[in-house]
Amino acid sequence: MSDKNGNDKKLLISVENLSKRYEDLYALYNVSIDIYKGDVIFIVGPSGSGKSTFLRCLNRLEEPTSGNIIFDGTDITDKKTDINKHRQKMGMVFQQFNLFPHMSVLKNLILGPVKLQNKSKEEATEEAMALLDRVGLSDRANAYPNQLSGGQKQRIAIVRALCMKPDVMLFDEPTSALDPEMVGEVLEVMRELAKENMTMVVVTHEIAFAKEIANRVIFMADGQIEEENDAKEFFENPKSERLKNFLAKVL
Amino acid sequence: MTFLMDFKQNFIEEDRWKFILNGLGVTLRVTLFAVLIGIAIGFVVAVIRATYEKTGKLVICNFLANVYLTVIRGTPVVVQLLIIYFVIFASVRVDKIFVAIIAFGINSGAYVAEIVRSGIMSIDPGQMEAGRSLGFNYIETMWYIIIPQAFKNVLPALGNEFIVLLKETSVAGYIALEDLTKGGDIIRSQTYHPFMPLLAVAAIYLAIVMLLSFLLKNLERRLRNSER
Repeated sequence: MSDKNGNDKKLLISVENLSKRYEDLYALYNVSIDIYKGDVIFIVGPSGSGKSTFLRCLNRLEEPTSGNIIFDGTDITDKKTDINKHRQKMGMVFQQFNLFPHMSVLKNLILGPVKLQNKSKEEATEEAMALLDRVGLSDRANAYPNQLSGGQKQRIAIVRALCMKPDVMLFDEPTSALDPEMVGEVLEVMRELAKENMTMVVVTHEIAFAKEIANRVIFMADGQIEEENDAKEFFENPKSERLKNFLAKVL
Repeated sequence: MTFLMDFKQNFIEEDRWKFILNGLGVTLRVTLFAVLIGIAIGFVVAVIRATYEKTGKLVICNFLANVYLTVIRGTPVVVQLLIIYFVIFASVRVDKIFVAIIAFGINSGAYVAEIVRSGIMSIDPGQMEAGRSLGFNYIETMWYIIIPQAFKNVLPALGNEFIVLLKETSVAGYIALEDLTKGGDIIRSQTYHPFMPLLAVAAIYLAIVMLLSFLLKNLERRLRNSER
């Protein structure tokens, strides 16, 4: 397959007609999209448009009502699929960080690799320290999450996901719970990741940031993809009225 | 001096102090093993109940857990002890200490279960999501992430439960198990002096409870410190 620039890109996640219904309300309705390796996809839209639900359906933290998600050739919506195996390859970063408060930073980082990927403590620690160093937090390895600032917590949370060596990183409003002065340090880490060709799917309100690092942007409204385009077109030539309105308000 | 004579008669003559000492040994053994059984049962039942409440799964297990909780919390521990000794183990020769451990363990498990369940329910759902998103299954996430935090939160309540359990074992005399209370009572029945043996028994319970409270407070502080 090739993208719009004609470059060959490997299909990583294929979402087909994904729907999620709560009682009589559709939070997601018939959403389909292909995500290629190296894509940095930002999902924007008003509150309640289903963007977080969509992201959380991708690793089945939210159980989709119908539709399929093909991840690296496997249909992970199939009940017979061992979702735990595939989640190891899909790192997730939460708005509220969700670090484990009863463990030191280092323990937070090596828990997954040691228990799930059978790495030795030494090997996992070495890898974790290398990643910590890259986000500038190697001096906090023995601290506990409650001793860290919000920005530090989120950077640790990103590293925790990276320690599993995921194929894709899912970000659920990673900066929404942060004090304004701490947003920058988290965005910087994400910028680095994008540069290293990590596949990323990001739900965010940071439109300016989307403009800067996204290669594709999705605008969601009422549980559907209202508009999807590569980043430049998306911001310079919005087509739907709702997107034009939205961009006028947030930019 | 009557005090010294009383003391001599109650504790020294015919080695009566051995009733107290042996009784204390029985009480401590019964309490310790009953606590362990209580914790084991309590955590399993708590996880079943919390899982049902959060996900709607384990319907049958949850039903059985509810029956267990209702029956155990709805009947006196003495009655449970008597039933286990005279009904369930009626035709088998078993050690009375073993019967007491089983009875108090099963009884304590019901209370521990509700304490631990409240602890599990108090943990932010984000913790479960974070564990699952890393690839841990439900049980692994419970074990590595949720239960350690829940345990820390409910430690004061658990400590209280164990103190109550220690004192509750004093009814073991109903199946003629010679625990601390029974030991003191045997001395009383031999010397016809209730004051000294019973006060000695009370003082020993009090000392153990104070020691336990002190240890728990320390443990609690140590666990809390690790987060700051």
